[in-house]
Amino acid sequence: MLTTGSKFLIGATVLALVSAIAYGVTQDGVMGTIGLLSAACALAFLAGVNIFTRDSNIWADEIASVETAPAAARPPADSPWPLAFALGTVVLTVGLVTYQAVFIVGVVLMLAAGAEWTAEAWAERASADATFNAEVRSRIANPLEFPLAAAIGIGIIVYAFSRIMLWLSKTNTVVFFSMMGIVIITVAFFIAYRPGLKSRAAFGAIAVGVLALVAGGAAAGLDGERPIKVHETTEGLSNEGVDICSSTEKFEADKKASQSVGARASVAATITLSDDGQLTFELNGPSQEGSDALTLPRSNPNNVLFVNRSDDYRRLSLDLGTRTVADEEGVDEVVPFLVCTTLIDTDSEQNKTITIGAPSIAAPDGYYFFVPGVESARLELVVP
Amino acid sequence: MESASTVNEVSRRAKLRGPSARIALVAGLGVLAAGCAQDAPQDTWDPAGPNAQMINDLDWLVFPIAGVVGLIVMVFIAIIVVKFRDRGQAIPEQTHGKPALEIILTIIPALILIGITIPTVSTIMALSETDDTECVVNVTGQQWWWEIDYPQQDGCSGIASPIVTSGQMVIPVGTPVLVRGTSRDVIHSWWIPRLNGKKDMVPGRVHTVRLEADEPGIYAGQCTEFCGLSHANMRMEVIAMLPDDFEAWKAQQLAPYQPPAEASLAATGEATFVAQCSSCHQVNGLEDATGNLIIAQPQERVYSGAAPNLSHFMTRNTFAGASWDLLTDECRANVWDAPPDVVGERYLEGVNADCLNSVDLRNWLRNAPAMKPMYADAEKLEKTDGLVRGMPNLALSEDQIDELIAYLLERK
Repeated sequence: MLTTGSKFLIGATVLALVSAIAYGVTQDGVMGTIGLLSAACALAFLAGVNIFTRDSNIWADEIASVETAPAAARPPADSPWPLAFALGTVVLTVGLVTYQAVFIVGVVLMLAAGAEWTAEAWAERASADATFNAEVRSRIANPLEFPLAAAIGIGIIVYAFSRIMLWLSKTNTVVFFSMMGIVIITVAFFIAYRPGLKSRAAFGAIAVGVLALVAGGAAAGLDGERPIKVHETTEGLSNEGVDICSSTEKFEADKKASQSVGARASVAATITLSDDGQLTFELNGPSQEGSDALTLPRSNPNNVLFVNRSDDYRRLSLDLGTRTVADEEGVDEVVPFLVCTTLIDTDSEQNKTITIGAPSIAAPDGYYFFVPGVESARLELVVP
Repeated sequence: MESASTVNEVSRRAKLRGPSARIALVAGLGVLAAGCAQDAPQDTWDPAGPNAQMINDLDWLVFPIAGVVGLIVMVFIAIIVVKFRDRGQAIPEQTHGKPALEIILTIIPALILIGITIPTVSTIMALSETDDTECVVNVTGQQWWWEIDYPQQDGCSGIASPIVTSGQMVIPVGTPVLVRGTSRDVIHSWWIPRLNGKKDMVPGRVHTVRLEADEPGIYAGQCTEFCGLSHANMRMEVIAMLPDDFEAWKAQQLAPYQPPAEASLAATGEATFVAQCSSCHQVNGLEDATGNLIIAQPQERVYSGAAPNLSHFMTRNTFAGASWDLLTDECRANVWDAPPDVVGERYLEGVNADCLNSVDLRNWLRNAPAMKPMYADAEKLEKTDGLVRGMPNLALSEDQIDELIAYLLERK
């Protein structure tokens, strides 16, 4: 008679064989077929071992063993884990043909259900005492279950929280979560000062709160985030055709820009606008004395620090000649190629990361830094 | 009847004469013999400049101390293992705490560490000094070669226009040079062992290192930060030459473009170069059919955004990340093994048709990725939007290769 385990393995063997044939007929390449055939061989081998050892069980005809064996003393309890395992298999299979995220959920579900199922099955065979078995299971599984469950629970709450915050407007977020704080403190106060309150009631209140939060988070997540205004940048405006880099006017991109830089070690060159309207540069290490031009490597992110020592708001701009861009109708047009910092205050500094693809000989007039509104401020940039 | 101890002794001796012991002995002798290598161009124990000398001096202080300490520890361990090995004897009396011994064994290592720390820290501080440098050279690493450029400056006895080369850095002997290094893709590390310690070159950062050579010569180096598939093929050399030779080298590098003679093989090679190579490799002064300067656009094809400038390709001795020689073995030896006073002069001769290592150069042009492992198959580069790392196989014909070599031979 075939044992239970061997039936499963024989079924899996047949499934792998059928899959190998189907794969071989429908798909290019032999690696998949070889893999599935290998799996079929391995499963067939395991099936043979199981039949030979009769699932490592006692012999069915050894009555005395059957009557005295602890494993035989009590039938296994109902368990949700086989169902969860099967569900994981389905989700995994669906994930294979749909989305990677679904596949990962399936794998996680299968692994979790498999681990739980294994621990439970093992514990049920520990003795004939169901209570003792349950303790054994808890001792083994709880150190893993509790932290994982807590992490998942906290993750869901935090995620729901974030979805609600991103869904509400900035003002409503403040109002809503202030009210939530008041509600939580009130409920906590009520529970703390009513020792006679049944724990079930307190648990119920908390459960309702958590459920409301999760439901709110799901609804907010489905509805999407509130429109978040993207702060303009000098680069963005330049790309849109706005001539910010030649302008002394203050744009939105110039507002709230950081005017101090910490990472001095990463600076390739420091360019200073002096109070007499001259642009000078310093390099990391001894400077290129005798050079009127700053040299920076090509195709490399160069951090250039602009220091404003003049008595007015100023920006540092870099003229890189021209470039070809597609207009709204998709037609190429040649436009000035300028990059710049934001306007910065007197004695402030601003970092600009510049990556230049072409050498400076590509521009008829070469590349040069300038400061809008200060005619004398000009510094040649050489890109070899 | 043999006693048990006699049997154990025989067994122990048999093990000492067994194959494992012999293999260990041979391996140990091999490692020892490796220390006697004569042809070791990247030898930190053979300093050729003040910075490398400082490192060498520190090594000669630290290594003997570390060696003696290591030897003492190993001898003690060996004595304890042999003397107190399990022979069935009773477990000796157990004690806890020997304050005097513990204090001594704490103080002695502390004193040794202090003795090592003071010269180590002072050497590190001295190595980081670059204020006395008189010449600036920019070094930019990318997979898997080094670009070297000399900005316009008063240093290096004056450089009027930027010089760009690759693989080989030329410096005037006895002049402290400031290397300002960075990287275009991943972290690399610049190391010329006979001139100074290693320095990481990191994208977005500029790191400095001081180089100075005491006498003319060619000093080999190697990227020492694992940087991908061909990390082992990312080499470099520093050529230190006499001041007059250095002046001649600068003039060579700043010489204007010389177009090939009309109707020559090199002229055909120029057209082939324009069609096949100029989209990535810059040759300064090269013009297209309409007379416009050709500006290479490697950023559109190469992940690092750069390819070696070939304006004066045949003034260099190596190519492909300094991993292959442009010179035949005989001509190479003539330069590399030259006496210090003539090494610069011979280097300046560059590569001519008689000395060209055409075998390796032809192989490179025929199929570069077959010589040097590179991510150069654009169809397999989804992560870089099809941009290659290294030089791809251009599927050039043998005629095209002949033409290109004729053209490149004139790039001096």
